[in-house]
Amino acid sequence: MIIEYSDRLYPEKLRQINKPPSRLYVLGNIEILNNNGIAVVGSRTNTQYGEKMCKTFTKNLVEYDFTIISGLAVGIDSIAHKTCLKNSGKTIAVLPCGFNHIYPEVNIPLAQEILKNGGTLISEYDENTKPDSDKFRERNRIVAGLGIGTLIIEAGNRSGTSITARHTTEQGKPVFAIPSSLDNKKGKVTNELIRNGAYLVRNVEDIINVYDIKLTKRKSKKKDIYLDISEELIDVYKVIDDIPKNVNQIAIELGLNVSDVNYKTMLLVMENKIMELPGQRFIRNDEDYE
Amino acid sequence: MLSKVKSMALNGLEGYLVEIETYISNGIPEFEIVGLGDTTVKEAKKRVEAAIKNSKIDFPTQKILINLAPADMRKGGSSFDLAILVGILIATNKIPKIDIDKLAQTIFIGEVSLEGKLSRVNGILAMCLEAKELGIKRVILPKSNANEAGIIEELDIIPIGNVQELIKYLNNDIGIQKVHTQIKRSKTKYDLDFSEVKGQENVKRALEITATGGHNCLLIGSPGTGKTMMSKRLNTILPELTLEEAMETTKIYSVSGELKKDGLIMERPFRMPHHTVTKNTIIGGGRNPKPGEISLAHNGVLFLDELPEFNRNTLEALREPIENKEIAINRIYGNYIFPCNFIFIASMNPCPCGYYGDEEKECKCTMQEIHRYLSKISGPLLDRIDLHIEVKRPRYEKISSKTKSETSEEIRKRVNIAKEIQRERYKNENIASNSELTNSLITKYCKLDEKGEEILETAFKKLKLSVRAYEKILKIARTIADLEQKTDIEYKHIAEAIQYRSLDRRYDN
Repeated sequence: MIIEYSDRLYPEKLRQINKPPSRLYVLGNIEILNNNGIAVVGSRTNTQYGEKMCKTFTKNLVEYDFTIISGLAVGIDSIAHKTCLKNSGKTIAVLPCGFNHIYPEVNIPLAQEILKNGGTLISEYDENTKPDSDKFRERNRIVAGLGIGTLIIEAGNRSGTSITARHTTEQGKPVFAIPSSLDNKKGKVTNELIRNGAYLVRNVEDIINVYDIKLTKRKSKKKDIYLDISEELIDVYKVIDDIPKNVNQIAIELGLNVSDVNYKTMLLVMENKIMELPGQRFIRNDEDYE
Repeated sequence: MLSKVKSMALNGLEGYLVEIETYISNGIPEFEIVGLGDTTVKEAKKRVEAAIKNSKIDFPTQKILINLAPADMRKGGSSFDLAILVGILIATNKIPKIDIDKLAQTIFIGEVSLEGKLSRVNGILAMCLEAKELGIKRVILPKSNANEAGIIEELDIIPIGNVQELIKYLNNDIGIQKVHTQIKRSKTKYDLDFSEVKGQENVKRALEITATGGHNCLLIGSPGTGKTMMSKRLNTILPELTLEEAMETTKIYSVSGELKKDGLIMERPFRMPHHTVTKNTIIGGGRNPKPGEISLAHNGVLFLDELPEFNRNTLEALREPIENKEIAINRIYGNYIFPCNFIFIASMNPCPCGYYGDEEKECKCTMQEIHRYLSKISGPLLDRIDLHIEVKRPRYEKISSKTKSETSEEIRKRVNIAKEIQRERYKNENIASNSELTNSLITKYCKLDEKGEEILETAFKKLKLSVRAYEKILKIARTIADLEQKTDIEYKHIAEAIQYRSLDRRYDN
């Protein structure tokens, strides 16, 4: 649907930014446009560290009922959207193009997923507009504009992410940055932002405390964990905790054959009880997603 | 004067009979060899002339014409030297008392040196095997080749040191003891053993499955985790070579001049070409095609360390041989087929920096870099690899622990039993191991119980497995069931098999 600047539904937050879009094209849930949202943005070529941080922070933000706003790009943007959906949060994707030309194409399924789960796609361009580099930059002011603050995970030098950070500051909203190792190429910009006055955040509470709004953490639904695990798998399940372990370690701990551990872990993975991390290591799966 | 002497030549891995016709006539002295010989064959003129003269025998000052029949096949190598020399000696009547009937059943193979000594040539075993088929009774060859040929009981192998000795022998002035090599069927001793590997039980298990089903395996792990070390030990848990296999392997090594010691090769070969290797070295090639690394690994293991570092073309060329267990090399002058039934093992790092998923070191690669690294190995090649296994760095306590782990011998016993089960099951199917199962045979032999079906279905939905992964999982599950000596595939076998498809799980999304 189309929302004109003059329209009653036009998000108030966008009216206050520089060069507000004259009209918005929206797919999905328009109500969440006025929710408290945090823009979670970052590099398209993120590192393992970036992925991990993005997942943790997004998950925790969702638990405080924040809407997650991002740009549907590959890398951090996608991770933010996906993590939000997994934790049944609401997410807004701001597109640099029309709805008929969703970019990048690999994320079309993700866009559909967002719509299915009560999220929103938004763009200032009509459906047949193709993306180009100018539009990518333009789009970032809306990403910043829809949120009440921006969380930068990782960013490349002179990237779109830095532009989003600049817009956020210009709009008078807080920029949050996750500190990075000095070795990390993708961490230079975030560290620099912190040096220039962005909020250094260590956990999601560092973000919450900036605002004087009362927020309560959503209670995560913890199931009775031993209940639906079959007799033969319980020994393996018990030794797997939050610290990743590989098959060999589990086998030694339990005095089992690797062949047994192999099949048991695989059955647990398939029952969503545990999760596999890169390098065939396993941790408990406390997230409850499909 | 005309004489006819028999010799053998190589066509790929097979020997074929070459008749050396020598015609000596009056005229301006001349020495010519016809019959499509390469430069080495042409140069035989010089060697033979010098060898005859240096053996204190007159070299005919006449017109000498040598024909190598069949004249339309390309011939190469120095193995005709001896036959050419004998042809000239007979044509000039230097061996008056020679037994002409016996000569028709004799072949001469060998290179001569200028001083009249005989030296070693390649491919003796292949040539002698063919000679046996043709009904040849006697082979006269250099001493240094005698033990290799002596494996064939049906032939009289006469070792010769130099030209003088040869003349005396053919003249029946002296007798020479025939050579017969005893095939030692002793237990093959390997320098390496799995008992030296501490920890790493999951990798050992995967290699045991690999050995049992004849599967191909990819080891993924950070630098220094022992991928190479463990792959090198795969040989020690494979069954002993059968006599037939030993013959095949020895033949290939003989033809390519890689035979290091005399007699049969009784160890399974382990080939580990460096990643700068060219396509032809891997596949086999050259104008007169020689077997490549894949054929040298026949009945053994081909190990490619650092798989993504290999040239893309080289890896692509491996696709058909892995599938067909033989490689056809086509040349204008003929097609050559080399067998290459090997177990393919490869190793690689999980990402460019090598530490993705490592417990101690943080990976510094971006996801894009990791994807680019992995995409160096094409899907079709990956399709042909059954097991993927992640190799982790063992903990220090494990390395230093004094408790010995299982020996190769113990593992091999289990492998042998499971191999026997497979052989028995597939005796009417013309295959020997689970890795060779085709689509229709999978449906016939890999039936699942209800729970197994259920697990496979969940795995498909959850891990988004591909169709190719489906077949691989069934094949691996079949091998696991065989190792446990179970007739039917159970759900745990399926679940364990899925564990060995880590690349599908990890990188397909």
